[in-house]
Amino acid sequence: MTAGQPAALPPRSRLEERLRSLTLPRGITLWSILRVLAAAAATLLIFAILLQLLGSDFGTAFNAVTDSAFGNSFNFGQTLMMASILMCTGLAAAIPFRAQLWNVGGEGQMWFGAFVTIGIALNLPKGWPTALTIAVIVIGAMVAGAVWGLIPGIMKATVNANEVITSLMMTFIAIELGTWAIDGIWPQGASNETESVPVLMPNIWEGTLVTWGLPLAVIAVVVGWAIMNRTKLGFEIKAVGLNNRAAEMNGMSTAKVAIVTFALGGAFAGLAGSIFILGINSALPAGFQLNNFGYLGIAVALVARLNPVWIIPSAILFAGLRVGSDGLQASTGLSTTVGQILIGLFVILLLAFRLIRFSYPEAAR
Amino acid sequence: MRYTWSCMGHQIAMRGISKAYGSTVANQDVSFDLAPGEIHALLGENGAGKTTLMNILFGMVRADAGEIHIDGQKVDLDGPQDALDQGIGMVHQHFMLVQGFTVAENVVLGTEAAWNLRLSHKEVENRVAESARRLRFEIDPHRRVSDLPIDTQQRVEIFKLLYRGADVLILDEPTSSLGPAQVDDLFATLKALRDDGRSIVVVTHKLNEVMEIADRVTMLRNGKNVATAEKGSYDEQALARMMTGSEVHEVTVTGTESSGRESIYRVQDLVVHRGERLHAVHGVSFDVRPGEIVGISGVEGNGQRELVDALAGVAEVESGTVALDGQDITAASALDLRRRGVSAIPEDRQSWGLVLDMSVADNLALSDVPAGRFSRRGFLRPKAVKRSARRLLEEYDVRPADAGLLVLALSGGNQQKVVIAREMSREHRVLIAANPTQGVDVGATEYVHQRLLEDRSEGKAVVLVSIDLDELLKLADRIIVLFRGKIAYQAARNECTVDDIALAMAGTPGRGAEITEEEAAEPAAAAEAT
Repeated sequence: MTAGQPAALPPRSRLEERLRSLTLPRGITLWSILRVLAAAAATLLIFAILLQLLGSDFGTAFNAVTDSAFGNSFNFGQTLMMASILMCTGLAAAIPFRAQLWNVGGEGQMWFGAFVTIGIALNLPKGWPTALTIAVIVIGAMVAGAVWGLIPGIMKATVNANEVITSLMMTFIAIELGTWAIDGIWPQGASNETESVPVLMPNIWEGTLVTWGLPLAVIAVVVGWAIMNRTKLGFEIKAVGLNNRAAEMNGMSTAKVAIVTFALGGAFAGLAGSIFILGINSALPAGFQLNNFGYLGIAVALVARLNPVWIIPSAILFAGLRVGSDGLQASTGLSTTVGQILIGLFVILLLAFRLIRFSYPEAAR
Repeated sequence: MRYTWSCMGHQIAMRGISKAYGSTVANQDVSFDLAPGEIHALLGENGAGKTTLMNILFGMVRADAGEIHIDGQKVDLDGPQDALDQGIGMVHQHFMLVQGFTVAENVVLGTEAAWNLRLSHKEVENRVAESARRLRFEIDPHRRVSDLPIDTQQRVEIFKLLYRGADVLILDEPTSSLGPAQVDDLFATLKALRDDGRSIVVVTHKLNEVMEIADRVTMLRNGKNVATAEKGSYDEQALARMMTGSEVHEVTVTGTESSGRESIYRVQDLVVHRGERLHAVHGVSFDVRPGEIVGISGVEGNGQRELVDALAGVAEVESGTVALDGQDITAASALDLRRRGVSAIPEDRQSWGLVLDMSVADNLALSDVPAGRFSRRGFLRPKAVKRSARRLLEEYDVRPADAGLLVLALSGGNQQKVVIAREMSREHRVLIAANPTQGVDVGATEYVHQRLLEDRSEGKAVVLVSIDLDELLKLADRIIVLFRGKIAYQAARNECTVDDIALAMAGTPGRGAEITEEEAAEPAAAAEAT
């Protein structure tokens, strides 16, 4: 029973250990950053081979990706806006994950947030000050996301329904609701999207399309950090996630934590929905589903080791890849699906590089 | 030869072993010898470095310096498989069994038989049964491990190692969750294995066990060798002095603090189920007066754990009541109970008492934070948490007194002190303590006893659940023995005899028994009675 030795730990299966080391924040170390870089290098290598097979030149493709993601202020602005969305959906995953609750429904919570954003925006009386209108809409979208998250949270807390399944099913419902909005409730007519909202977030960076959405997302990250590190609630979320039995024994309610973390996660995802509509696109397009912003948020959160502050660089990284792969299509004529492969490869390799452990004590920690 | 495989123990010599974890030195220039056919006790307080030394011998931990020689040959053990190849096996304090697998599956797990597709399940079981018979091990290969009592699980662990050809067995705190009769069984097994020529290391901090079983003892203190001695050259007092480096002062209960006072804590006809387990709590009643320690004992699996869980507010009560000052607190939550002044020291500190991956300070505040202390309008006050932690660390003598350290990094005894500091520093009227000295060294045990007695003299009502009879006889004013979830014996301490208690633990109802002879004999009857 000496300090720090593995045998003093209660027995856990290897798989459980791996899951723990994957999902529980142990701080970002130099080593973990190196592993991310190694994964990126491996991704590029495999991607280069793939491009060879497709008959494209890797150098051109690589330049196309980096240029369209970070090449000039306009392009970088696009990356930042996409990162804003991913920061919010990243939080939607990270906070419940800290409590060992697997909210994979950020996608649906975001969709419902977008749905409610359009609904409120189209029906608010004209003539209100812009700031007030936007505040009302954003708060409405966050409440909507929270409600969408609450349903799996409450089901987990009351009947112990598996939150992975329920939050995923709620996503399917939300997507159908969005599709109905495009086709039936607020159709635009000519193009395959909803009516455009009459109010938009003001631009904050001339020469780019960066809007209030970016500072809002950064504020959300700061709020997420404060909740996790400076509040009683954050303390309980961490305790429940690390040892729910001891948490219960010491008077915490795992049911309460399940409900609150899902509501919080949902609210952040709802915010992502309203930033997309008010700050980026002004309408819900038919192809929105292809972005997988909600699901990508899970990867963003995992790379950030569920640490809110690290969600910012992690989101920018993924947004850069996403925007870059659009540029790939524009300059090389390759389909965007090749870009999707790039992101998919990266996520898989990240998992691989994180899972490898080199000695027993490290695996046991 | 009786067995098909060799059972010749090895001559093992560990020389100059050093190992540090960060700034904590676990072993410093330690030497250890093991001869064939001996039981060698490795004695020391918690945190003395015993487990680390044995983990090094088992290849689980690599030493920073030092050499290991087996039969005169220098070896480099890189991982448990290397150690097993050399015939060295280890049974950890927390068993490494797959609960959902059968005994046979656990035994062959990781061996060739588990991979050989040509072997049917039946053949594997037959092989295991065959070798169990040869080794005179009473285990049923078909049983699921999760259905087995703790002592049988331990037997499976030992057998598993023998099956893999281990001639050198290392047992880490093997008696920590066994009752007296089970300890006797274990020791008989170990002696038989020794007489067959195997070498056995028993890691322990219990002096009476050393006296009873060891042929030789090596003692560690603060990660260093203190002494190695042959049987007959020491007695218990001498060991205790060497181990702690100081005289141990026995505490004994004097007088009755509680005489003539009304009981404040009352448990009535309590029934607790747990899953499909038969031996939960089947109608237990007792009350506790202020200034009284009521001791509850029994062999593990007879309802004590479920009783404690129910009293601590984490298990659902089927029927019956718990009352504090005449107020019904049966349905109170853990949070509510603490607000009303019921503190609880859970049995398994690592699973229930602590969040190992949180800091010492956070663990000390674990129950105060949900109760609203240390926060203002929902915001934590980390400085207040730290300040309170530093005070408690000093007051309860936790070492190292570093509030920022992860609890994981503390020794077992110090982890327990963290739990005790948290539970006993809070305003409370009732204390539920479940095996508070389990796996804790002599010094810390003495400390815990002192604290419990302080609670008693301050007029608190204490329920002490313990498997250690000496502890109960030393501290408790009244002793209750549970068997199959019912009271099989109860008496005031001065009317108790060890024999009666032992009989009741084994299922012979004694004084004040509420269980009938039939119920004690028939587990099914006891189950249906509820």
